[in-house]
Amino acid sequence: MVVRPLFYLMQSFKYISILIAVFLIADVLFVKLSYAQEIPTPTIANDTVKTPSDTTKAKAQDTISGIVQDEQGNALPGVSVMVKGRPNTGTTTDPNGRYKATVDGNTILVFSYTGYGSKEERVGTRKEVNVVLQAEQEALEEVVVIGYGSVKKKDLTGSVAQVKATEINAFPTSNALQSLSGRAPGVQVYQGSGAPGPSMSVRIRGSNSILGSNEPLYVVDGFPLSGSNPTILNNADIESMEILKDASATAIYGSRGANGVVIITTKQGGVEGTGNATQVDFEANYGIQQIRKKLDLMTGPEYATFYNLRAANDGVNPYFTQEQINNLPSFDWQDFIFRSAPIKSTSLNIGGGNERTQFSIGGSVLAQDGIIKGSDYDRYSIRGSIQHQLSDKLTVDANATMSRLITGRKDSNGGARGNSLISAILGAPPALTPYDDNGGYRLLSNAFNIAAPDIINPLNWINEEVNKTEANLVLANAAITYKPISDINIKLLTGIENRDDRENMYRTNRYQGSTGEARITANNEQSRLVELTANYTKLWNERHNFNVLGGITYQDFINSYVMGSGQGFISNVSGWDNLGGALVPLVPASGYNKSTLLSYLTRVNYTLDDKYLFTVSFRADGSSRYRTANRWGYFPSGAFAWRVSQEDFLKDHNWISDLKFRVSWGKTGTQIEDFYPTFNPLAGGYTVFGQDLHLSFAPETDLPNRDLKWETTEQIDAGLDFGVLDNRLIFTADYYRKTTKDLLNAVPLPTSMGYATTFQNVGQIRNSGVELGLNANIFKGDFKWDVTANVAFNRSKVLKLYGGGDIFGDELKMNVVSDSRTILREGLQRGLFFGYLEDGYDENGQIKYKDLNGDGTISNADRAVIGNPNPDFIYGLNSSMSYKNFDFTFFLQGTVGNDIFNASSIGSTVDYVSGLNMTRDVLNNHWTPENPNAKYPVISNTVNARVSDRWIEDGSFLRLRNIQLAYNLPVEKFNLGWLKRLQVYVSGQNLLTVTNYSWYDPEMPSSGSDYLSYPIAKTYTFGVKAGF
Amino acid sequence: MIHKAQLIYKVKHHRLSIWFVVVFFMLSSCSKELDQEPRSILEETFYNTAAEAEAAVNAIFPPLRLGAQGIAPYNATLECHTDYAYGRGSWAQFNDFNGLDATNTNRVGDFWNSFYLAIRNANLVIKHVPEGDAMSDEEKNRYVAEAKFMRAWCYFHLVRNWGAVPLRIESNMEEKDLARNSVEEVYALIDSDLRFAESYLPEDNAAQPGRPTTWMAKTVLSDYLLTTNKYQEARDKSLEIIQSGLFSLVPIQRVDDFERIFGVGVGVTSEEVFHFKYTREGQGNYYPFIINHPETGYFMKGGGKGAYAQYSNVNNNFYKEWSDGDLRKHLWYPMDIGLGEGTVLQKKFIDPAAANEYGAINDFPLYRYAEVLLLFAEAEARTNGVTTEGLNALNQIRRRAYGKDIGAASDIDYQPTSFSPESLVDTILQERAYEFQFEGKRWFDLKRTGEAAELLQKNKGVTITEKHYLWPIPLAELNYNQGITENNPGY
Repeated sequence: MVVRPLFYLMQSFKYISILIAVFLIADVLFVKLSYAQEIPTPTIANDTVKTPSDTTKAKAQDTISGIVQDEQGNALPGVSVMVKGRPNTGTTTDPNGRYKATVDGNTILVFSYTGYGSKEERVGTRKEVNVVLQAEQEALEEVVVIGYGSVKKKDLTGSVAQVKATEINAFPTSNALQSLSGRAPGVQVYQGSGAPGPSMSVRIRGSNSILGSNEPLYVVDGFPLSGSNPTILNNADIESMEILKDASATAIYGSRGANGVVIITTKQGGVEGTGNATQVDFEANYGIQQIRKKLDLMTGPEYATFYNLRAANDGVNPYFTQEQINNLPSFDWQDFIFRSAPIKSTSLNIGGGNERTQFSIGGSVLAQDGIIKGSDYDRYSIRGSIQHQLSDKLTVDANATMSRLITGRKDSNGGARGNSLISAILGAPPALTPYDDNGGYRLLSNAFNIAAPDIINPLNWINEEVNKTEANLVLANAAITYKPISDINIKLLTGIENRDDRENMYRTNRYQGSTGEARITANNEQSRLVELTANYTKLWNERHNFNVLGGITYQDFINSYVMGSGQGFISNVSGWDNLGGALVPLVPASGYNKSTLLSYLTRVNYTLDDKYLFTVSFRADGSSRYRTANRWGYFPSGAFAWRVSQEDFLKDHNWISDLKFRVSWGKTGTQIEDFYPTFNPLAGGYTVFGQDLHLSFAPETDLPNRDLKWETTEQIDAGLDFGVLDNRLIFTADYYRKTTKDLLNAVPLPTSMGYATTFQNVGQIRNSGVELGLNANIFKGDFKWDVTANVAFNRSKVLKLYGGGDIFGDELKMNVVSDSRTILREGLQRGLFFGYLEDGYDENGQIKYKDLNGDGTISNADRAVIGNPNPDFIYGLNSSMSYKNFDFTFFLQGTVGNDIFNASSIGSTVDYVSGLNMTRDVLNNHWTPENPNAKYPVISNTVNARVSDRWIEDGSFLRLRNIQLAYNLPVEKFNLGWLKRLQVYVSGQNLLTVTNYSWYDPEMPSSGSDYLSYPIAKTYTFGVKAGF
Repeated sequence: MIHKAQLIYKVKHHRLSIWFVVVFFMLSSCSKELDQEPRSILEETFYNTAAEAEAAVNAIFPPLRLGAQGIAPYNATLECHTDYAYGRGSWAQFNDFNGLDATNTNRVGDFWNSFYLAIRNANLVIKHVPEGDAMSDEEKNRYVAEAKFMRAWCYFHLVRNWGAVPLRIESNMEEKDLARNSVEEVYALIDSDLRFAESYLPEDNAAQPGRPTTWMAKTVLSDYLLTTNKYQEARDKSLEIIQSGLFSLVPIQRVDDFERIFGVGVGVTSEEVFHFKYTREGQGNYYPFIINHPETGYFMKGGGKGAYAQYSNVNNNFYKEWSDGDLRKHLWYPMDIGLGEGTVLQKKFIDPAAANEYGAINDFPLYRYAEVLLLFAEAEARTNGVTTEGLNALNQIRRRAYGKDIGAASDIDYQPTSFSPESLVDTILQERAYEFQFEGKRWFDLKRTGEAAELLQKNKGVTITEKHYLWPIPLAELNYNQGITENNPGY
């Protein structure tokens, strides 16, 4: 409530802006009067000499030259050489590090180069001025992009991790987020499915929200994306990604900051220090993906033996005679379906420019085939950015990326008993081949009288159904930056994000039981942004450094769709392109949603003596998704950092190169995903009277909550950055505690209400944890070895549930096991698995459950916590070594202590009634009177399973995500002026995984639930990188 | 020259400054944009006109009529419980009476959900339509009556399958936790809803066949009264319908003639009282898929689908004792489905032209005039014993079933002399069993008469106990409704 007056203050910003306007006008008048005194600009250049026309103070003019080198004696090209006091003049060194300048004896030359600081030399009488520039403590001088601005790393008060282009491009991935995995402490990337294309999710410092996506906000070149995955970008387009973690860094994004913010900066042209040379980078690679692991399933004869066993146990005649068993084939459906598939990517980036104009353009193609035929992902993208300085005061810049994504999808999630692709691959009887005697698809459901009625030959999905999404994406923004006086920057940024896609589906009339089915859905999602920010920087008395930011932004989000479909096609020739040819045209559909967000923001950074750093920020967000009374959310933050290493008492300790303590506090929010959660829209439908359709209108399954409030997350963070030995060793540690209040949740309702769920503010969750990062340059020189490592511990706790009672999660609906399986309970971690505890087998080999409440029967009151999907800690370790022209890197990543709910195995281990294939383990280790403690129950139709600890497995893993050997060709020896760099490499991804997890892969969606998902592949890659 | 150019810059800058300020004002005035309403029909603003009220009533029907959670699997489940039919595959548990696995617990849970979804939609009408501002009172009463009729029909099914259930009505529809009401309370609501419906529903639905009429209300009322042993009232109410003269039985000469009642494209027969209606446009009846076999051509001819989830056997006592002269018996036909000798399947509901599982368009008969006659016959027998009126109603059914002239006495007629009142009731119940095979009546008859255990033992050889009379309340209800603490016995 303290913040409300603050907000009114913000609104009075309007009037302040009028004052600024007056000020600006005065400024213009002042400049107008003063321009007459300006003197023409003297210039120096490396080959032309311009003599200043004003010679009143003339001394002898001389042409001098020199070479600029680093400590190792390497020539530094592109070093800026300027005359002190004349900031708009200058030249740069040529590719050999040489320069020429015409100066007089009193001139002081300033040599500067990014990463090397600057050096001043008085020319005096010398004709040749050679300079050695020392590499700076790079890490501290690096510029880090933060919300609505950037700061030097040393000036950071918040917890921000940076992932650079080299790491992002370390190995080929189809989604830039994959490359974040393991790179920064506290950032966990979940690849829930191995299907090509974007199914990534990222968690920064755990999950706060139950209902919200828990995905961080992605900001690309200043544009906060509306969707979660920045699929529009190619890895090679990205210059850097900054991960804002603590509230001091994220609160400036207010209602979208609670899950952290990932700021993505695309490549910009004319990198400082490279002079005017145009850089061309080319990269291409080719990889082969293969299924990482196969499951050990029964063979044909084993299958028959198994079901004869079931018949014997159930007192039925055997299904197979011994002779039949001996002659049964053994068909490996996994080998048949999973294939080796290539992944190819090529990119070209060109950047360059001059003092006034910089540009960067890039294009790329990625083609990833899936290890299941037809699940391919192609991305074509082009990108351009240009920045032009109209005058000293006015700069314009524009960025645009356009991509086309073509995604083939194969039904790969969920299902049971062979009614989905993965479950059919696992469940298909090995005693059957895919084709029948006539060459048609074998009807698996009819082949044996024990077969599952639902099972569908997987070839139906693979050959007779196409799901293809073609999407065109544009992300474009343009900005004008105006500097009325040197300390003030006013920036107007406008941008648009647009995605047009068409989801096409066609199921042929050869698909089992289908008469042909086509559907086209055209979606449009767009978001428009207008943002006006002003930035004021001032250094007073060399001690007080102020940076003040203020701004207002407006963003809207619109999505709409139209869908048409039909059934019954006599020919498959036209696919989805002739809906009019359907025997049964189905009812079309369309929809439209819009929401808006209006925000005021401000931030003040104040640095005293380069030692004490203060940041406060405030943002007010108004969202159309809430009713008037609860519409505005206020998000303040504050931070303090102390650079102890700048204190006199540490200055003598040379081994300490940097020591900084940071503390911060702040509030952030989570937007509800639903656009209109406070309204109860009625959905149209039909009923029939007589022979005719009649319209019907009724609510859908969500009961609206008109009193919904913002969910807010309050976070404190204490951290330290410690660099020793010229920052060869940098250690970062953070402790944080995030408390999320007014948690939004879709609370399940009793079905007798007719509504399934309602949104409510249900409680509070806390996430707290520790993150440690280490950056070490172990060896320098010829043999270089850098290691970065990070580890993060996060613990969540449900502090309060307003209703007091437990909140159950989604229901697993597989035929043999159906129940809810997660719980939120006060005092426990979030997302825990909940179910029955098994207690061995009874005398008939049936699974027994523990009667926890001791009432003599097993009821849902006997359920308990059975597993925890939250890891004890996650870690990543990257090692890169180079010797002469060879680079060798490897990257390890893993989680420890998390459980997986293995729903995938249910159909293949206890669902004995449907003639499905089982894992071989079941045949070898099931209950018999002689083996009462077997892993699996008696083989019988009567086996009844529940959501129990049987399905919980240890999901810890250690994965060699990438290993790479690269050779940099000695191009300088080839004497090719045009070729600057050439690297060839071989690498492998996911080649080694250490885990106890029994199913395809331990990498899970964040829910920790494995439910027949598309298996993750391993990849062997060959690539080349060249620079011109 | 240069100076001049710079001057132009300055002037432009001047304008720019002002422009930034203008942008700021424009942006901060965007707060109006924060009021966004969905571009869709809202509960908050609907239910004003007769057309809107009608569309709201229409929404009561889809969850009941359609798909794999509606009447088709519901009916199949009820039929598996009978003494004459069996379930195949996952449906077998319903005739085994030996507990339900997760599949079948969910299956009956889906029926619960569908009934309550329909009830919610009915409650919305009952709650909002009286406040409509562009309807006459007559129109309001009609739509409320339609909703109450459907609500009563849903509760009538809920109470018979689950016993005491929570009563969700217009005043408590958004309360999460509701305890179970007693069976008596549920019947009291059914009674008052049906009586309201009877008063305000129209006599005729020729414009929209299938829409509730007062005759439908009277029929359900008769059924409920008989079920709750209010025989005199049941007799009077059913007699009212008979005496209206609006309905008559469709004559039958051969087995194939049953298609005139149950087949595709029969329109509104003289026998129809309350049917669910279907069309091809994604609004089909799922039941023919459940019962037909892919190889007979009775369903999706050439396409070959059908779950044949229900079957019977010639060795079942019910079947064995059935006279071969009864044409209804011949709706069963032999088919080897790997479940032993003598297996028979039903062809009461067939649609060879169906395009897919959901594509059949046979009406689903909830109440036919045949049932009105038998309701009357039974109520009459229970109140007045053996009477000519009662026997006449019964004989119409019997004559039709044997291919005789419905209106004329015949050699297979039941004679008053051959009955005591008790044996007459038994005969009527048996006639109901023959007449309504696969129409979801028998299980309720067996339960209300207390003969379930005996007849299931005799005809199918299965033993059932008290706990098998009610289905389990779904887990989703028990988990989220704190008002319900106990499931039905045995679950």
